Amino acid sequence: MTRGLIAAYSELDALVDAIEALKQRKFSKFTVYTPTPRHEIEHALKPPTSKIRLFTLIGGLCGVTFGYWIAIWTSDYWPLVVGGKAIASWIPYTIIGFEVMVLVGALSTVYGMFILSRVPKITQTIGFDPRFTGASFGIYVEAEPERLKEAEATLREAGAVEVKNER
Amino acid sequence: MATLAEPIRPGAGRPNVASANIQLPGVESYEQVDREIAGTLAPTKGWFALLGISILFFLWGAGAWVYQIYWGLGNAGYNPPVMWGVYIITFVFWIGIGHAGTLISAILYLFRAGFRTTIYRCAEAMTVFAVMTAGLFPIIHIGRPWKFFWLVPYPNWRLVWPNFKSPLIWDVFAISTYLTVSATFLYVGLIPDIAVLRDRETNPLRKRLLAVLSLGWRNSEPEWRHFARMYLFLAAFSTPLVLSVHSVVSFDFAMALAPGWHTTIFPPYFVAGAIFSGIGMVFTIIIPIRKFFRLQHIVTINHLDAAAKLALATSLIVGCAYLIEFWVAWYSANEFEQAYFWNRVFGQWWWAAWIMLSCNMIFPLSLFSQRLRRNPTWLFILSILINLGMWFERFVIIVPSLSHEFEPWQWSGYVPSWVDISILAGSFGWFFMWFLLFIKNLPVIAIAEVKEIVPPRLRTHAPVADIDVTGHHVDYSPETPGERE
Repeated sequence: MTRGLIAAYSELDALVDAIEALKQRKFSKFTVYTPTPRHEIEHALKPPTSKIRLFTLIGGLCGVTFGYWIAIWTSDYWPLVVGGKAIASWIPYTIIGFEVMVLVGALSTVYGMFILSRVPKITQTIGFDPRFTGASFGIYVEAEPERLKEAEATLREAGAVEVKNER
Repeated sequence: MATLAEPIRPGAGRPNVASANIQLPGVESYEQVDREIAGTLAPTKGWFALLGISILFFLWGAGAWVYQIYWGLGNAGYNPPVMWGVYIITFVFWIGIGHAGTLISAILYLFRAGFRTTIYRCAEAMTVFAVMTAGLFPIIHIGRPWKFFWLVPYPNWRLVWPNFKSPLIWDVFAISTYLTVSATFLYVGLIPDIAVLRDRETNPLRKRLLAVLSLGWRNSEPEWRHFARMYLFLAAFSTPLVLSVHSVVSFDFAMALAPGWHTTIFPPYFVAGAIFSGIGMVFTIIIPIRKFFRLQHIVTINHLDAAAKLALATSLIVGCAYLIEFWVAWYSANEFEQAYFWNRVFGQWWWAAWIMLSCNMIFPLSLFSQRLRRNPTWLFILSILINLGMWFERFVIIVPSLSHEFEPWQWSGYVPSWVDISILAGSFGWFFMWFLLFIKNLPVIAIAEVKEIVPPRLRTHAPVADIDVTGHHVDYSPETPGERE
């Protein structure tokens, strides 16, 4: 059974120190909260690059394929022959292809963000404190019960304003 | 700052602040950001009065539209062959207004132009409402609005599909994509800010509503990481999108053979004009907002200065396009083209053409003066002139061409009817109604992004580091002139 601790920090460098101390002491399950994205946190956590680009690529390719396809297929299905000109003309259809690519690509990017960030969330009460959307930085650490004391000491040493038990 | 310009000492001559890196020394903490921006949400008497006026205008326009639907399109001032009038002019006008928002939120984001931070939310909301307004006009213009769905490709029992070679179908695709993507961009940008409001809210009903709207956003690092990546890709999609939309609108004209329309300069000319008019509308909106909400230390003079430079640049492009049109008419030796341009400036429509030329090409030259760029009163007056000038630009493009085509027997005049004018006025009511509702329900300045440029609180008293345009940390020298009013 794991238990959690929530720590609030009012200073950015304290938070960065806490992240580094937790990593040093091999606490692997923790979530960092920040009112605004900061490069300092990114440098401390060294997270992997987001996989959102896959959603963007696949969405964009599906969109452009559908855009060209609907225009070409419908012109072919009911041909309007004018002066021997091409029935399916790729130049004007590029506009349709482009617009549908942007539409589907953008929507699938947002969908990807929802999937990867796990929003919408029905409940947000576990491991979260409302002040993290205000001015405070925060960390939620999950650990085995026997390591909770060590985790609390680590969080406090780095300069936590408050550490509280969760669950 | 260090990479773009020398650091500025207070009082050392004229300030030349790098637009990429405008700081907010008047904002000291994250609490202050939350408090001051959330403070704009309290309704005031002035807001109710403005909302009431907007709704009255909207009802006036809606009434005129109902009248036109009942009695027919003959009540609009169309006079053959001038079968495009105020509705198409106003359609292009509002689409143009809708371009600045995505320019500021997407293109300037990719270019790391720091001055966008405090004005982009306002511009983005303006974009969504302007495109919503614009989208109504083709529907009003077709006279039988209930047949609008024929433009959409849907499977039907007659197996009839729209003609994908028609610019009007391109318009449907471009504008519906633009509305969807810009509304999505606005909403996802709002999610972290709605979470801030949710956690400050005390009224349980409003809190529940904000919790649903914020999708349970918690400001965790993984959320931000995916969010930032998503924002980057949305910006990368929106950048060519915004350029394509007004290019497609310009094809409505450029694909036709009418004199003055059939020209390859139209797409860049329209895009520059659209961005120019949009920035004009941003000034019209943001200058009263910063004054009434006392946010002069958040939307600083330096932000206005940087945006005014953008207005000046686009005005120069538009002015250049106006002059090139005359040159092309002369150089082509095409007498229809030449007669049309003469008629535009010295003939039947001289007054409209000179309103356009003076408001869009001549008055904005005043922005070469830094003193005027840093004068909000002048910027506000100029923004009204730009709005007027850009409406008349579309008038000058549409009406003189249709009223002065190839044969003299085709020539005619055009006078808008009261229905046209009412629907035009109603569109402003509709736009400002949505905008006023927006500014009292959601933050009009991006809370999370303003926090990004506010130095975070630190334990050590080391000099506050700041991130420059290349992503490197540099020392920030406070008190650049213009940051506090």
